[in-house]
Amino acid sequence: MASLLQQSFAGSACLLPRRVKTTPTSVTEDCLVNAVSDKFMSAVTVHSLPLVWFKFVELASFDSVNPVGRLFKANKRQEVSSCGYYSVQVSTVSIHVQRIGGRHGVYAQGASLRDQAEASVSVVTPSTPDLFLLDLASKIEDSVAEGDHSGNDVLARLREEATEATLGCRWPTNKDEAYRFTDLKFLKQANIVPVSSPSETAFDPDSLNLQESEGSRLVFIDGVLSESLSNLENLPEGVIAGSISSIPQEAVRKYVLPRLSSVAERSQKDVFSCLNGVGARDLAVVIVPAGVKVTKPLYVLYYSSSQGSSSAGSTESSYGLSNPRLVVLVGKESQLDMVEDFSGAPESLYWSNSVCEIEIDERGRVGHSYVQEQGRHAVHIRQTYVSQAEASSYKLVEAVFGGRLSRHNLCIQQLGPDTITEMSTFLLAGRNQLHDLHSKLLLDHPRGISRQLHKCIVSDASGHGVFDGNVRVNRFAQQTDAGQLSRNLLLARRATVNVKPNLQIIANDVKCSHGAAISDLEEEQLFYFRARGIDAKTARSALVFSFGAEVLQKLEGAALRKRVENLVKNSLAEEGYINPEVAVTI
Amino acid sequence: MAAAMLPVVAVASRPLIALQQKNGIRNIDTPTAESACSSSTKFVVKGRRRWRVEEIATCSRNAGRNSSFSASVDVSLTQQQNGRRGLTTVATVTEAPVESEQEKVGDVLLEVRGLCAVVEATGKEILRGVDLTIRQGEVHAIMGKNGSGKSTLSKVLVGHPDYQVTAGTAVYKGENLFDKEPEERSHAGLFLSFQSPVEIPGVSNMDFLRMACNARRASLGVPELGPLEFYGYLSPKLAALNMDPSFLDRNVNEGFSGGEKKRNEILQLAVLEADMAILDEIDSGLDVDALRDVASAVNGLRKSDNAVLMITHYQRLLEYIKPTYVHIMEAGRIIKTGDSSLASLLEAGGYEAIKDLA
Repeated sequence: MASLLQQSFAGSACLLPRRVKTTPTSVTEDCLVNAVSDKFMSAVTVHSLPLVWFKFVELASFDSVNPVGRLFKANKRQEVSSCGYYSVQVSTVSIHVQRIGGRHGVYAQGASLRDQAEASVSVVTPSTPDLFLLDLASKIEDSVAEGDHSGNDVLARLREEATEATLGCRWPTNKDEAYRFTDLKFLKQANIVPVSSPSETAFDPDSLNLQESEGSRLVFIDGVLSESLSNLENLPEGVIAGSISSIPQEAVRKYVLPRLSSVAERSQKDVFSCLNGVGARDLAVVIVPAGVKVTKPLYVLYYSSSQGSSSAGSTESSYGLSNPRLVVLVGKESQLDMVEDFSGAPESLYWSNSVCEIEIDERGRVGHSYVQEQGRHAVHIRQTYVSQAEASSYKLVEAVFGGRLSRHNLCIQQLGPDTITEMSTFLLAGRNQLHDLHSKLLLDHPRGISRQLHKCIVSDASGHGVFDGNVRVNRFAQQTDAGQLSRNLLLARRATVNVKPNLQIIANDVKCSHGAAISDLEEEQLFYFRARGIDAKTARSALVFSFGAEVLQKLEGAALRKRVENLVKNSLAEEGYINPEVAVTI
Repeated sequence: MAAAMLPVVAVASRPLIALQQKNGIRNIDTPTAESACSSSTKFVVKGRRRWRVEEIATCSRNAGRNSSFSASVDVSLTQQQNGRRGLTTVATVTEAPVESEQEKVGDVLLEVRGLCAVVEATGKEILRGVDLTIRQGEVHAIMGKNGSGKSTLSKVLVGHPDYQVTAGTAVYKGENLFDKEPEERSHAGLFLSFQSPVEIPGVSNMDFLRMACNARRASLGVPELGPLEFYGYLSPKLAALNMDPSFLDRNVNEGFSGGEKKRNEILQLAVLEADMAILDEIDSGLDVDALRDVASAVNGLRKSDNAVLMITHYQRLLEYIKPTYVHIMEAGRIIKTGDSSLASLLEAGGYEAIKDLA
C-alpha cells in the first residue's frame, strides 16, 4: 500500500481523463484513488468492502464542503489520517467530482482499480447548490401547500422527507453517467408550472380509454385520484385500493407507514423521485391481502390535462407538471394483474413525473402492463421500484410511444430466493423523440430467474433510443439464470440508439447471458418472406411491425393489444415505413 | 453458348454410343428411363467455355438390357433457337426406340445448365457447373457429402441474396429463372423448403400463410382469401400433416421443434400449391412418425404436372418418396446419376463406392 501511495504522490499533478471508465465494477483489492481538484471534490458514493484510499489534495477546500461529509456518513469505517487520507471500505466506487471551474479531475490509480472499478467522473459545483432545482422544488412545494387541505399525515411526512432529500440532489446533466445520452437541458430552460388541483371538467373522459377497463380502475387526473372516474366495485373482497386519505386508517398504519421511510431512502438518489415526493398531492394505494387473487386486471390510468401551454405556436413553452404516486402491495400467494396507461390532453405541454412502488410478498405474482401514449411534445419521467420476496414473480410488459422525452428508471430488487422476473419492453422513437429505459435488477438470493427483452425502433433521423440494462448478481445469488437481450432497429439514416446491456456477476455458479443488436431488418427473414412470394415492401412492413409485436403480444387484454397495434401501425405508417394495410396482427 | 456447331473431343473408355442431334429427344446427361445402364464417357467440349460432362448414363427402357452396345460417337452441341434449352445435346441410342417413350415423359419444368455460383461475400466458388433437367411428374433426389453444394444449389435456384451466379443458365417453365426476383419465382410455382427455416418472432403463422397464399393468388389473378375462407382452405391441409390448429397462432417457426419446422415448410408448400418443390433435407431432425407424415403429405401433393427435387443424406426418405432419379453431387457438380439403386449403393458403401464407380 505504501509504495502505491508514494507512486500516487509522485504523479499527483496527474490529470485526468474526464471520465475514468473501466469495465467491471467491483474492487476486490486494496487500491488508491487519488483525487485532485483545484477546488474540491464532492459526493463520493461508496458502498462496502475492501479498502480503498482516497487522497484529497486540497484539504482546505474539503473542510468547507459538506458533501464530503456524506462520504463519511455513508461509511461506518473510515479514518481520517493526519496527512489527509481517508480510507473507507468500499466495493463499488463511483466517484462524482463536481467542479466550478479551473482544473479538476479524479485519478484512479493502481491497476486493480483501473481495471476493476467503475469510476465515472463528472464535474459540477457542490458549493453553490443547484439553484434551479431548489427553485423548482420550492415552486412545487408552494403549489402543493396551496391546494392541499386534506392535511394527511402520511402525505405530509412523505413530502417532508422528499424535500430534505432534494437538497442533496442536483439537476442531472449529460456529465452524469445515468444521463449521458439523455439531454434534459430543454426542460431546464422551459417554464415548469406545477399543476393546480384539477377540475374534472377540464378534459374529455372519452380520451381516457375507459372502455377497456371492464375490471376495476384507478384514474389519476394530474396526479390526483379522481373518485368519480375510478371504479373499484369489481375488486375481490379484502382488496384495498384508493387514495391514502380514503382508505381505512388501520390499513395505512399496518401497510403504508412501515414502508414509507424505506421508500424515501430508496428514492433519495434520484432527483425526479424526490421531486415527485415534494409534489405528491395524493398517494394511491393498492393492497392485495395474502391469498387473494385478483382475476380481472386493475387499470390505472394517468391523464394530464392541458394546464401547460399549447404545443402549437406558443412562444414560451411551459410544462404542466404532475406527480402521481402509486404504491402496490401484493401479499403472500396473492395475484394481481395491473395495466398502467399514460395519456394526456392532445397538443399541450405537460410533464408527468410519476413514481410507482410495487412490493410482492412470498409466492405473490404480479403481471404489469405499461403503455405510455402521451402527446408528442410531452415529457414522461417515471420511477418504478419493485421488490420481490421469495418465489414471487413479476412480469412487466412495457410499450412506449409518446412524448418528446420519456425516461423510465426501473429498479427491481430481489429479497428472497427462487424469484422470477420478466421484463419485456418496446420503445418506438420517431421524429424529435427520445425514449430512455434504465433498468436495474439486483439479485442477492439463490436461484432467481430473470428474462429481459428490450426492443427499440428508431424511425427518424431525429429519433433517439437509450437503454441501460443492469443486472447485478451478487455473491449469494448462486444458480441465478439471467438472460438479457436488447434488439434495436434503425429505420432511418442517422437514427441513434445508445445501448448498454450490462451484467455484474460476483457469484460463481450462475447462468447469465446478455446481448445487444443494432441493425436494419434481418436479410434472412426478408428473404424467407420473398421466397414465399411476399414482395419486399410487404415483407418489410410485416417485419418492422412484428419486431415490436413480439413484446406487444404479451400485453394484458385483447382490447389493449388491438389499440396498441393500431398505435404502432399508424405511427410507423406516418413515417412511411410500413404499409398499414399489411395483414399482420399482434 | 453461341455457336451452333462446336468441335468436340470425345474421350471414351467404354463402348461408344452414337449420339446425334435430333430435335426434342433428350439430354445427354439426363437419363429419362427408369433402368439406367451406365456407361461413363468423358467429353471435353471446347467452345467459349469448357465443359466436362463426366458422367453420361444412357438407358434403354424397353429392354432392361444391360448389354453393352456398340455405337459411334457424334456429339454436337447446339444452341436451340426457341430459348427453352440453353444448350442441348441429344443422344440417340441406336437400339432404343426413344421416339415412343418420349410421349410418356412430361414437359421439361426446370433445366439447369452449367450453373456456377459463388458466395457473394467471400467469392468462394461453391457450384462448378451443375446440369440438371427436371420434367413434370418426376422426383429427383440429390445426395452428396456435406459441403458438396446441395443446399447452395437449392438456394441459388430460389434467388438467395448470399450467392451470386457466375455462369450457366436455369430455365424454368420456359423462362430464365435468374431474370426473376425471388417473389416472382415463388409466384411462378417454385418452392424451397428450407433446411433450417428462420424464426420470425411477432408474425403469426396464420398471417404469414395467408399473406403468402394471397400473394400467389394475386399474381395468378384470382381473388384473395379472407381470414375465414382461408381457414377453410387451410384446415384439410393441416389435417393431412397431422398438425394441430393451435400451430397457426404461434409465431412463424419461433420455438418450433425440428419436426414442427419441417411440417410447417410442407404446410407452406401445400398452401402455395407449388409446381416445382425443392425440399432441402426435410428428413433431418425428424422422428419416424413425423417423417412418415411429412413424406405422405409430399406424396399427396404430387401430380402429373409438378415435380420434386429432394436433397437428402439418407436412403430412408427415398423409401417413402420414390425418386425417379438419384444424383450424386460432389465439389459443386453432379458426378453421377442413376435410379434409387444408387442410393442403396451409397448406403452400403459410402461415397467412396460411388467414386469408384465413377
